[in-house]
Amino acid sequence: MAGITLTVNGTRREVQAPGDTPLLYVLRNDLELSGPQFGCGLSQCGACSVLVDGKEARSCVLPVSRVAGKEVTTLEGLPARWAGQQALPASEADPALHPVQQAWIDEQVPQCGFCQNGMMIKATELLDEVPAPTVAQIKDAFMSGASPHLCRCGSYSAILDAVQRASILMAKGR
Amino acid sequence: MATATRHGRDVYGATLTRRQFVKTGGALIVGFSLAGRSVLEQAAEAAASKNSLDPTLAGSWFEIHADNTILIRTGRVDFGQTTAHTAYKQIVAEELNVPFEAMTAVVMGDTDRTPDGGFSAGYLEYGGANLRKAAAYTYQALLDLASSTLRVDKSQLSVKDGVVSGGGKRISYGDLVRGQQLKLTIPVTGDLTSMFGLTVTGTPPMKPTSEYTIIGKSFPNAVTPSKVSAKEVWVTDVRLPNMLHGRVVHPKTLGSTLVSAGELNKTRYPNAQVVVKGSLVGVVAPTEWEAIGAAQQIAADTKWTEWQGLPGDAQLYTWLREQADWKTTPVSKSDKSRGEVAPALASASKTLSASYELPFMKHAPMGPTIAVADARTDGTVYIHTHNQNPQALRGQIAMMLGTSIDNVVVRIYAGPGHYGRSNGGNAGAEDEAVILSKALGRPVRVQWMRPDDLQWSTQSPPAIANIRIGWDADGKITAYQADHYMPAMQDDRLVGALIAGLPTPPPPDIRPQAGSIGSTVNGISDPWVYDLVPNVAESGYGTFQLGQKASPLSIGLRDHSMRTPGQLQQNYPRELAISEAAALAGIDAIEFRLRQTTDERLIGALKAVREASGWQTRPSPHPKAAASGGTPVSGQGISVMLRSGTYWACVCQVSVVPDTGTVKVDKYTIAVDPGIVVNPLQLKRTIEGGALMGLSHALYEEMTFDQSGVTSRDWRSYPILTMNDVPEIKVVILNHPEIGAYGGGSEAANALAVSAIAGAFLDATSKPARRLPLKAAYVQSVLKA
Repeated sequence: MAGITLTVNGTRREVQAPGDTPLLYVLRNDLELSGPQFGCGLSQCGACSVLVDGKEARSCVLPVSRVAGKEVTTLEGLPARWAGQQALPASEADPALHPVQQAWIDEQVPQCGFCQNGMMIKATELLDEVPAPTVAQIKDAFMSGASPHLCRCGSYSAILDAVQRASILMAKGR
Repeated sequence: MATATRHGRDVYGATLTRRQFVKTGGALIVGFSLAGRSVLEQAAEAAASKNSLDPTLAGSWFEIHADNTILIRTGRVDFGQTTAHTAYKQIVAEELNVPFEAMTAVVMGDTDRTPDGGFSAGYLEYGGANLRKAAAYTYQALLDLASSTLRVDKSQLSVKDGVVSGGGKRISYGDLVRGQQLKLTIPVTGDLTSMFGLTVTGTPPMKPTSEYTIIGKSFPNAVTPSKVSAKEVWVTDVRLPNMLHGRVVHPKTLGSTLVSAGELNKTRYPNAQVVVKGSLVGVVAPTEWEAIGAAQQIAADTKWTEWQGLPGDAQLYTWLREQADWKTTPVSKSDKSRGEVAPALASASKTLSASYELPFMKHAPMGPTIAVADARTDGTVYIHTHNQNPQALRGQIAMMLGTSIDNVVVRIYAGPGHYGRSNGGNAGAEDEAVILSKALGRPVRVQWMRPDDLQWSTQSPPAIANIRIGWDADGKITAYQADHYMPAMQDDRLVGALIAGLPTPPPPDIRPQAGSIGSTVNGISDPWVYDLVPNVAESGYGTFQLGQKASPLSIGLRDHSMRTPGQLQQNYPRELAISEAAALAGIDAIEFRLRQTTDERLIGALKAVREASGWQTRPSPHPKAAASGGTPVSGQGISVMLRSGTYWACVCQVSVVPDTGTVKVDKYTIAVDPGIVVNPLQLKRTIEGGALMGLSHALYEEMTFDQSGVTSRDWRSYPILTMNDVPEIKVVILNHPEIGAYGGGSEAANALAVSAIAGAFLDATSKPARRLPLKAAYVQSVLKA
């Protein structure tokens, strides 16, 4: 079992785990990050999503050895990521919430909320690339990647509302 | 104790006592006692028990603190409907006349910290009613206290924002309780660990609904910020010292028993262990990844008996019609059955006779069932989990272990929605974690993998229905006959206990057995709303679960209630058949329904949805309806429902491409009249979610199985709705405070979607699709017929 060094939410972390361990278990059990959830372990639902170098990835099937030296962002890291993108002075660089998270609260998106980690990660990826997406572009985003992002409670329409609200919040922020 | 009771004061059947002076703080603590037994007797008994709320000492329902904050306790668990965090606070705030914000904490579900038990469904009908009444008793007690403290007659007092005033004097609730420990004991009845839990009894005066100022407002869910910022403690986050990660190797089939457990490869999995109890094979390891790998290796090497006791999905409906035993179970008749249906059908100007079929569906939570169990050396067991009926789980775990419920504590955390699967106490992993923890003497965390969760959980049962409708020349229905067939749908037995051969309640039988509410009786669950129909015969036929009796494990296909249970299975055939009858009568489907009822609330919902949806008033099918061709044809469908005091009407507009068999829902409009609307925003979001789950049922969901077990094992073999399928959704909320009651809102929307989509398909294609789901191959076969 070799030590693996990875950067998670801007901090270099060293973990002792077999290289084939999926990143999800390392994040949850070794680094005690609770954003990404185990939904299927098959890369079919998106509950475990994280950003790897800014791209949405399914941590439940991604071997930890594959992210060595890469930048991993979890739900916990979204506020700091937003602060960094805004180039805020250090004194102000600690927002409590990313605009996507704020929009999720404003629109009261979660029902059970179990899938929403992946939904917010996907929304962040989308809004980085397309600051003012159309409804069709939002739908496409949640259908893209390893699989469509699934929500059993049916919060999809609330998510559509929230992504549009987040887009407005981010435009104001910039 | 005797002193306390002697000095007690009667408050509409509740008892208020002033127990002792405390140096700091102070509180009014509301406890409970079972109706029909003296407070004293119950108190003495409770004081001797462990791990339950002591009605004489602990705050059971509410604690009103000296700083004017209030804590609410409820045995119900919020699964995302937000009711416990919004509506419950609003109901209590209203009865106590305090601001919504005064309620700073809600304790949910923990069996040693909440009073009433009961399932997490019907939140307003059951748990909400309990809290409302408990709050009403508390309000009267507070007035009594204020009266004696201020020396002003109770009738002169009024309360606003938690401040009592009268006779020129005023005092806040916080000041009333400061420095004292006051105890109010209220009467309840029922069985704590049963399906329904305890019910608050008596008739305390309650606030007139016309005076409501807090109910009806859109308060946000206090839990949302922690859930979206990764600060919530989810069930998946529970870690105990010395804990092992566990996985269970489930049997090869739903009837296989263990021949021999595989031998662990200690070179590859040096820290793993295998635990065998009966036919239950568990694998544990200090790290989750080692436990998963070791479990896979053991699964490949474990030998099981063969079993083939199921008809297989291709034979399901034939089997239900020809093989199932519908005769042993008593037949249910609806209370709206009346008149003579047979002669009325014979003399009708036109009739429809048709059969309808619904498949097994999975609850399919986004995360598999999970529990951390800690079986301690003193005989107590702590279970940290996510479950819709923690007290029922507590009772079942005690039964499995042959111990008292005093030795079992269930603690509840946030987790994925279960949609009814665990409302009788069992989601799946809880008992397996207990069995492994007991065997190893260490805390064990059992999480099922995705295939376990689809293949070893309960499911919503299939159903068939035969409907006959006759109507006269004026389009008035003269006769309605419905024969509904459905296997038992409430199997609450712990699956790990069954596999391990440990005690469980009996399986569903022809009448409810002791310790179980499950029976094979198929009650009429879809209240009849067409009161002008003179001849009605609704019958429910029940039978045993498929393969359960024949399975050596007594397992087979276990069923459990799922969102709008039973009513979905009965509303789909009823509403589709009525739409078919309207089409045959040449009358608009909404107009046809309006002709069969005098119920003003139903009429109001129908008219509201007609206006909001852009409904075209005309007979069905659509003038351009087609059953062939490569271009899309469109149609509209309507469905109505009465559920838990709430009236619903739903319109779906769909487009169908006949040649490819694709069905797309373009717009979903729903009108809802719950009487008093408690929280419009949360109601809207919950309905939207239900609507989309209903689209999923209608278009995708069908559990597949072969002769040995469930073959739906992941999201590819059990597909559900995705973002691409989301239509325009419009929710019309009809607020009718004059009704004086608040009906439920977290169910129904899914079932209405199914019925309305089926009606819209008929309108678009002129052909009825009488089986769900509307998958391409089935749709093509219907359109070619």
